[in-house]
Amino acid sequence: MADTICFQDISRYYASTNVQANDHVSFSIGSGEIHAICGENGAGKTTLMRILFGLERPDSGTILLDGEAVSLTSPADSIAHGIGMVHQHFMLVPSFSVTENIMLGNEKAKKGFLQKKDERAFVQKLSETFHLPIDAGAIVETLPVGLLQRVEILKMLARNVRIIILDEPTAVLTPQEVGPFLETLKELARSGHTILFISHKLQEVLSVADKITVMRQGKVIGTKLRSETDMEDLAMMMVGRKVVLHVDKKLACPKGNILEADHLSAVNVNGTKLLDDVSFRIRSGEIYGIAGVTGNGQDTLVSCISGLVKPASGEVRLEGASMTKESVRARRHRGMAHVPEDRIAMGLNMQSSVEENILMGYETQEPYCKKGFLHMGQVQSLTEELIKSYSIAGASCDSPVSMLSGGNMQKVVLGRELAGNPKLLIVNQPTRGLDVGSIEFVHKMIIAERDRGVAVLLISVELEEILSLSDRVGVLFSGRLQGELEGDAINEKNIGLFMVGGHV
Amino acid sequence: MNKQQNRLMNVLVPVTALVLGVFVASLLIAMTEVSPFKAFGVLVSGAFGCSGKVWPLCITLGQSTPLIMTGLAAMFAFRAGIFCIAQESQYVFGAIVAAWLGVTLHWPSFLLVPFIMLCSMVVGALAAEIPAVLKVKLGVNEIISSIMINNIATLVLEYLVAFPLRADSGQKAQSAVLPQSLWLPQFIKGSRWGVSFVIALICVVVAYIVLWKTSYGYELRMAGQAPLFARYGGIDADQVVLNAMAVSGALAGLAGCMEVLGNYHRIMTGFSSGLGFDGLSVAMLGLSSPIGVFIVAILLAGIRQGAQLGLQINLKIPRELGGVLIALIILFISLQNIYTPLLKKFVSTSSLKE
Amino acid sequence: MGAFLSFFTWNLLSSSIRLTTPILLAALAAALCNKAGVLNLAIEGEMLLGAFVAIVVSYLVRKYTGMGRAHAVFATSVGVAASLGFGMLLGWFMASIHSRYHSDLVIFSIAFNMLSSEITVYIMRSVFHQNGTWTDPSLVQLPAIGEYNIIVYLSWILTVVLIIVFHKTVFGRHLKAVGEAPEAAASVGISVKRVHYVALIAGGMLACLGGAFLSVGHLILFTRDMSSGRGWLGNAAALFGFNNPGGTFLASLFFGFADAVALRLQNVTKIPPYIIQLMPYVLTLVILSVVSFRAKKKRSKNALY
Repeated sequence: MADTICFQDISRYYASTNVQANDHVSFSIGSGEIHAICGENGAGKTTLMRILFGLERPDSGTILLDGEAVSLTSPADSIAHGIGMVHQHFMLVPSFSVTENIMLGNEKAKKGFLQKKDERAFVQKLSETFHLPIDAGAIVETLPVGLLQRVEILKMLARNVRIIILDEPTAVLTPQEVGPFLETLKELARSGHTILFISHKLQEVLSVADKITVMRQGKVIGTKLRSETDMEDLAMMMVGRKVVLHVDKKLACPKGNILEADHLSAVNVNGTKLLDDVSFRIRSGEIYGIAGVTGNGQDTLVSCISGLVKPASGEVRLEGASMTKESVRARRHRGMAHVPEDRIAMGLNMQSSVEENILMGYETQEPYCKKGFLHMGQVQSLTEELIKSYSIAGASCDSPVSMLSGGNMQKVVLGRELAGNPKLLIVNQPTRGLDVGSIEFVHKMIIAERDRGVAVLLISVELEEILSLSDRVGVLFSGRLQGELEGDAINEKNIGLFMVGGHV
Repeated sequence: MNKQQNRLMNVLVPVTALVLGVFVASLLIAMTEVSPFKAFGVLVSGAFGCSGKVWPLCITLGQSTPLIMTGLAAMFAFRAGIFCIAQESQYVFGAIVAAWLGVTLHWPSFLLVPFIMLCSMVVGALAAEIPAVLKVKLGVNEIISSIMINNIATLVLEYLVAFPLRADSGQKAQSAVLPQSLWLPQFIKGSRWGVSFVIALICVVVAYIVLWKTSYGYELRMAGQAPLFARYGGIDADQVVLNAMAVSGALAGLAGCMEVLGNYHRIMTGFSSGLGFDGLSVAMLGLSSPIGVFIVAILLAGIRQGAQLGLQINLKIPRELGGVLIALIILFISLQNIYTPLLKKFVSTSSLKE
Repeated sequence: MGAFLSFFTWNLLSSSIRLTTPILLAALAAALCNKAGVLNLAIEGEMLLGAFVAIVVSYLVRKYTGMGRAHAVFATSVGVAASLGFGMLLGWFMASIHSRYHSDLVIFSIAFNMLSSEITVYIMRSVFHQNGTWTDPSLVQLPAIGEYNIIVYLSWILTVVLIIVFHKTVFGRHLKAVGEAPEAAASVGISVKRVHYVALIAGGMLACLGGAFLSVGHLILFTRDMSSGRGWLGNAAALFGFNNPGGTFLASLFFGFADAVALRLQNVTKIPPYIIQLMPYVLTLVILSVVSFRAKKKRSKNALY
């Protein structure tokens, strides 16, 4: 019997970011199978699923459904072929009922007039058939996340899909909701549906998947039956590779505590823990790397420490003094610097000039401001100095910052943040989207700061970066610090295991 | 595109809108069997005078005063990132305060005039905070709340001049005339051009300094252009909006006050008619810069004035053409996305260097 | 007491209904556009232009028709039809610049309203050589049933039609989805563009019909700024009625009643009408604040946001 889905040599290259997202991906999925696709960030899993759901087209390769080659040109096309996708961000209309959301775009109607009774009965039946209990009349904005996901699944089932794709489905669920959800997957498989889901939470994967395919850097590393593998094996497949990056750095000589995070917790509106009792410290003169797959609490952690968000509980201390209640401005004055993940949306004002971007954070301090009046001459000398010492190509004081390349933009952000001689430097995905030369430069600057005695909090989903820069490593998983590593214990095996929810 | 080309693009858009507006207006002029060239000639001379006649220019400058002030007011709001178009309400409240205090308080004029101005500014600031607070704290759309409050202000004025403040029981609903000692002197009597224009000019200069040379102005501009960036850098974007609106309201309130003190010397029914959305038009066309506001305000006043004096009186072309021309220019500005690609192509191929 | 009661005559009711009609039509236009997620601030201008087109076309057609009354009614019908067609065109134009060029409809509306006000007077004066008020004795209104013009009844019928469309049709559901969660709607294949086009075109037609009522519905005349804020009252009424046709109808009725009371007060007493005319705007602000406050509270407890 032909496999339900067969990927043959699927390749996809993104010219804009110069990345081979899928590199001759080939594997197959059988009927009624629960198939997990695992990998780190950038492995290519989401791209592959988007291709399967018609949101993108491959550059080369074929997809076979039940043995026949198909060309999937749009989500509607994929749905027509029986493929449905449950997105990470729910596509629901808040004020509509469950029934109305499920039937949206798929209405039961006579000459344009809704047959609401029929729709309700239909949804009721659907819910019973697949053992997915739901109140058909409930208004969606009153439902908890677990039920919202159920609505999304029912939405797909209402369209008669046989194949269901789920992208990181448990990322938004509370721990209590995960169990029922996995049961749902098993139930759906039992009734003949083929389930494809992306996840990096290997405990869940191993409890429910029949087969697991691991991808890394666009390639398929291997496909294994659940019985043939375990967490360590899979983790190694996900992260194991030769570390290419090598950075020269002296041994760290850390001194006193600069940053202390104490039992930090943050909660989502529906009760999911974004941060779960996270505690760590960073000393002066050391780089603390936070590793982990995206979406495990890194952004919340950065926001709590930088002051953009208040944690639900816990404390943040800088040089012993509590910072938890202080504003962003106060933290900056105390010596915090922050290179954000998104340099364009957050790190810079794209509508402004280089010198105005450099001024941010210093506009009320001497020598740039005296009695409320700006001394642009001082700003200009600082800007010129930074342009020279950071070799920011194509920049001058009043040139628009939007004209710079990604690497040079990052240099502006870095230059600005370091100009205040900070005590704590937070860098979040510092080399995302940069060319090799810029990556090297940024890494050199980070190490230089560390050698100067700065405490560096490095957050990165790039394993190489964590491995080559960090003196100590903490791995975030589901909002908690799954593990901390020091010295020789810092290797891809250990980090990989923590990243997927395992233990060393 | 380099810096020079960027700057050129910024100027080309309003210029293109102007050209297109003039073109369509010419077609409308043709409906009256007058040559568009002649008409525009008369418009310009009616606006700014010619060969020795300075009178039109004086009137234009006088008419431009409230436009400059409300234009600056709108500019501050836009720069802070809030599209508040309630300048008319602040103008009206400022005028009401001036007309009322001017006849009720009997202090010496050197005390009373600055006091009245101050009160008008405070009232204007308070009026501006209504849409501002509603937006910042409750997320109410500031355009709608602006329109509501504009209507409320106009109706309050109509009520006040019809009854409590009514000065004569004749046909006209208007308040009492302010004592002459409170009148802001005009340079040429009857031209409306006087001290209030100088005050407006001072406001332009101060606005420029505040916007570009102070840290307050810097924070305001950053918060308006890139709120996430501003927050990240430590700026409280909400507070910036509330502060900016206070400044904006104060300017518009002062505008109303100066029109009462320097021009009409009272308030009457239909006081703010014709001001409508002129303030924000000036700010938009002036690219939200103080100098731009100054120039555009004079231009707009000139067009209206030229239409009234020149077109209507000399050529019998209805003066509404002035308003039509202004509306067309703003219309074409709003449609800029249609022609900017063409402009971009033109600018990129030009050989402008850094 | 008798004097107080005599204030509330039957006349008051009928003038309320008459005054409500243009507000109602504008409000239905606003409700439709708001529901679809497009802010249409050009209704005031559309109304004014609709009024102008109706009377101009009626006048021009009348010049070429015969003397009989039927011919006169025919002329006015053509005028009203032309007004509707014009509204359709305006709506189509707004939808195009919004969908294809992502133009800012807010700035467009401000310019458009200004332009409508000035250009109608300009044409009235330059082409028809009328200053102030324009009327023509040879023109008649559309027929009336009982006391009210058919446009009044039409506005009620349209209200009912919209209620049915909103609550009982597929399009109504799509409309609500597009306005509230366009991404969700697009993800199930609904064309957000198409919904916007329909809303703006229908909105334009409704607004112009309201304008036509002003110029050829009750009296035959056109003056500068004839719409005198009724478009804005329509916007306010729609918000007041939570953009539902039923609520909008009630809100428009309330605003129309307030208008009628103000008028009557002006004729009968010396009490200023302005305070009454203030009420709709103040109330709308209050309602907006309350609604936004509730929405904010809801958002902070809600899994979907």
